[in-house]
Amino acid sequence: MTRINDVGGMTGFGAIDVSDDAPGFHHEWEARVFAINRLLLQKGVYNLDEFRDAIERMDPLDYLEASYYERWLHGIETLLRAKGLIGAL
Amino acid sequence: MRFDVGDRVRTQNRNSLGHTRLPAYLRGRDGEIVRRLGAFPLPDVRVSGSADAPKEELYTVRFAAAAVWGETAQEPDVCADLFAPYLERAE
Repeated sequence: MTRINDVGGMTGFGAIDVSDDAPGFHHEWEARVFAINRLLLQKGVYNLDEFRDAIERMDPLDYLEASYYERWLHGIETLLRAKGLIGAL
Repeated sequence: MRFDVGDRVRTQNRNSLGHTRLPAYLRGRDGEIVRRLGAFPLPDVRVSGSADAPKEELYTVRFAAAAVWGETAQEPDVCADLFAPYLERAE
């Protein structure tokens, strides 16, 4: 069995942009999500494998529709809710 | 199990239900150890939040494209960093 993130070898997603001048962030909020995640990892609120797992457990349709940093935000929210650090959104 | 550079290995064909760093396209494939990377906490256990997940040896394993994508594959060989528990010795 596999999860929706495990798409290695699957065709149909189009070419990957591998140019070096691609921007790291497309929106200001993405940089904030990046920073929040780094801080929570550094503080030991969760570890990197918990974070990856939280993203991998996303609903498959939501996963495919979400952008890269939308998935990060979903993972952060899922873990903070599970650990009782934030309430229901 | 410990492996050395040059060892032939086969990846487990595991029916993983949780977090793992063994991708589906590399399950049950034959490859060769090309580099030893040291020991690191096993992600499959560390995902539980455990701070004392066992450290396992991590290896770079090279797979012939045909072994991964099929006999007519035109792609280059595939290299992946895989933990010892994902591997067994192959003839």
